[in-house]
Amino acid sequence: MTEQGWLERELKAHGVSRREFVKFCATMAAILALPQTVAENLAEAIEKADKPTLIWLEFQDCAGNTESFLRASRPTVAEIILEKVSLDYHETVMAAAGHQAEAALSKTVKDYAGKYIAMVEGSIPTGADGAYCTIGGKSALQIAREVCGAAAATVAVGTCAAFGGIPAARPNPTGAVAVGDAVPGIKNLINLSACPANAENITALLVYYLTMKQWPPLDQYRRPLFAYGKLIHDNCERRAYFDAGQYVEAWGDEAHRHGRCLYKLGCKGPVTFQNCPVIQWNQGTNWPIGCGHPCLGCAEPNFWDRMTPFYRHLEGVPGFGLGSNVDRVGIGLAAGVAGAFAIHGVARVVSARRAARADGEKPEGESQ
Amino acid sequence: MNDASARRLPESAPGRVYVWELPVRVTHWAIFLSVVVLCVTGTYIGRPFSAGGATTDRFVMGIMKVVHFYAAIVFDVALAARIGWMFFGNRYACWDQFIPLTRERWRGFVKTTKFYCFLRHSFPETIGLNPMLGLLFVGIFALELLMAATGFALYSVLAPIGSPMRVFRFLVPILGGLQDARWTHHVGMWLLITLVLAHIIAVVVISVAQRSDMIGSIFSGYKLIVDRQDGERDNG
Ligand code: HEM
Ligand code: HEM
Ligand code: SF4
Ligand code: SF4
Repeated sequence: MTEQGWLERELKAHGVSRREFVKFCATMAAILALPQTVAENLAEAIEKADKPTLIWLEFQDCAGNTESFLRASRPTVAEIILEKVSLDYHETVMAAAGHQAEAALSKTVKDYAGKYIAMVEGSIPTGADGAYCTIGGKSALQIAREVCGAAAATVAVGTCAAFGGIPAARPNPTGAVAVGDAVPGIKNLINLSACPANAENITALLVYYLTMKQWPPLDQYRRPLFAYGKLIHDNCERRAYFDAGQYVEAWGDEAHRHGRCLYKLGCKGPVTFQNCPVIQWNQGTNWPIGCGHPCLGCAEPNFWDRMTPFYRHLEGVPGFGLGSNVDRVGIGLAAGVAGAFAIHGVARVVSARRAARADGEKPEGESQ
Repeated sequence: MNDASARRLPESAPGRVYVWELPVRVTHWAIFLSVVVLCVTGTYIGRPFSAGGATTDRFVMGIMKVVHFYAAIVFDVALAARIGWMFFGNRYACWDQFIPLTRERWRGFVKTTKFYCFLRHSFPETIGLNPMLGLLFVGIFALELLMAATGFALYSVLAPIGSPMRVFRFLVPILGGLQDARWTHHVGMWLLITLVLAHIIAVVVISVAQRSDMIGSIFSGYKLIVDRQDGERDNG
């Protein structure tokens, strides 16, 4: 793990200028919510940092996180830190294949036991004894327990690894679970949820670890607060329209063209924690709400079950259909019960009075 | 609220019993008024209409939310006070009035049920809560607590840094996440409205059936005891 000056060498070899590197550090400082004056120190700290050993595992996934990361349009510094330098094992990008690759993996696990960082993409199927996902004859469950169990820390990259994601959505045919639930006694688990995880947040997390030599503060779902400390809604550029009460009513209407709030199209920004509005996507090109699409809540646990239907504010009432209207069902219930109470009440009073009269008595309630 | 109707008869007059003490009456109406405001503003929050005009002149959602939160404070304080009073108030305000646990309450419960099922004609006399409606109030209190819990969970993520309300974030995973908490909060409103409508209709019906000035009792605190031979007349 001690290979000081590695980064400097790599940067030079790739023709990354000092200026570009400092700019990168400034961006990282911003994401980590550190004061800009720290950026210069950050550059120094990164340069001095040890080379970390990373193992990137892919299980029940779509490789979307890897894609998102590799497709970065300016893959300079971050790419060097993660992709070129540190990955000892990564199914999608490594050159080795077959038994050779598996041998490399077990060698790293043995040689660097307790020191390497496991990055996991995808959920882990537990059904059918793990037969739904096997690599080199071992089930994902076995591999995860072996590799994550001996790691210094495990980073669950993307919602599938962090919370089970789409594979774990109802009816969860493969019995998929999150990495944290698959590996008992897992150490230093960090969930970088989102579908996919934002490359900037992956990088920032590693920069934090390299420079501070510890993991950042986490929320109750073990997500770093620097990336998941604020609601989408609280940083949203359309928030003024929300507070004013001016909403897009239908796709492509006047309000939509004016960039108004997407709340009524089912925006889950008010219930989703992530820094999308600030760091945006694809190197700050744009982000979903910025281009007129409501947030789907992809960074929250079980989003595929909980946040659907995506284009409605609330799910319907079970038994009345997914898309049923909560308010219509509610009004029906209230009116039905009130009507029943009223009819029953009138019938009860009338029949009591009639019975009392038939008895030759005064009506109920007065002394006999 | 100790109005003229309370003084119509001397307090010692036969047939008049002091049932609902001041804290019960005050919390009852504070809860009622705050629930009306919470339902109106909550319905807007869940299903807003779009305001026209210049964005800088409008703050409709902002105002609805602020009013919702102030009404929520009234609601929560009154609810906590009423629940606290179940342990300090008179016997009619006590928690055990809501569940037919004692033999006396159970007999009243059976009689009342028979009355409502048309199996007896006279309305059974009870001085405090009607034992059957007691169960309705159990439902109402349970829903009120659910609204408070889900409301606190939803508010905990809006509260600014440093606010003590942020501790209620622990409720969020218990309620299945924020979106589920929102759904439960919204559906809970309709269930509460349903039970409250049932409650209002029930007290109107009883007031008419029993002629005990039951509606007046929640203003004045006094009930009229109209039928003391209830046991003997029990022909159900
Ligand atoms: C009987 C009592 C209450 C009723 C009927 C009520 C009703 C509602 C409704 C219908 C919504 C909209 C839900 C949605 O579809 O998104 C709402 C939102 C909300 N309520 Fe309540 N509520 C009540 C009590 C409370 C309490 C005690 C609190 C505690 C602070 C509270 C805090 C909130 C919050 C924070 C929101 C979400 C606002 C947002 O999304 O920005 N509510 N309420
Ligand atoms: C949000 C609305 C309401 C709620 C949650 C509510 C709840 C309650 C509760 C819990 C009690 C039992 C006494 C106590 O423990 O405080 C009660 C009693 C009573 N309420 Fe309400 N109430 C509501 C609205 C109303 C309204 C609008 C009326 C007027 C018709 C009303 C009339 C009464 C009467 C007459 C009693 C006394 C019942 C008895 O003597 O058995 N309530 N209510
Ligand atoms: S678009 Fe979504 S996140 Fe943005 S203000 Fe509206 S509801 Fe909130
Ligand atoms: S805006 Fe919402 S759905 Fe889109 S990436 Fe961010 S958290 Fe996920």
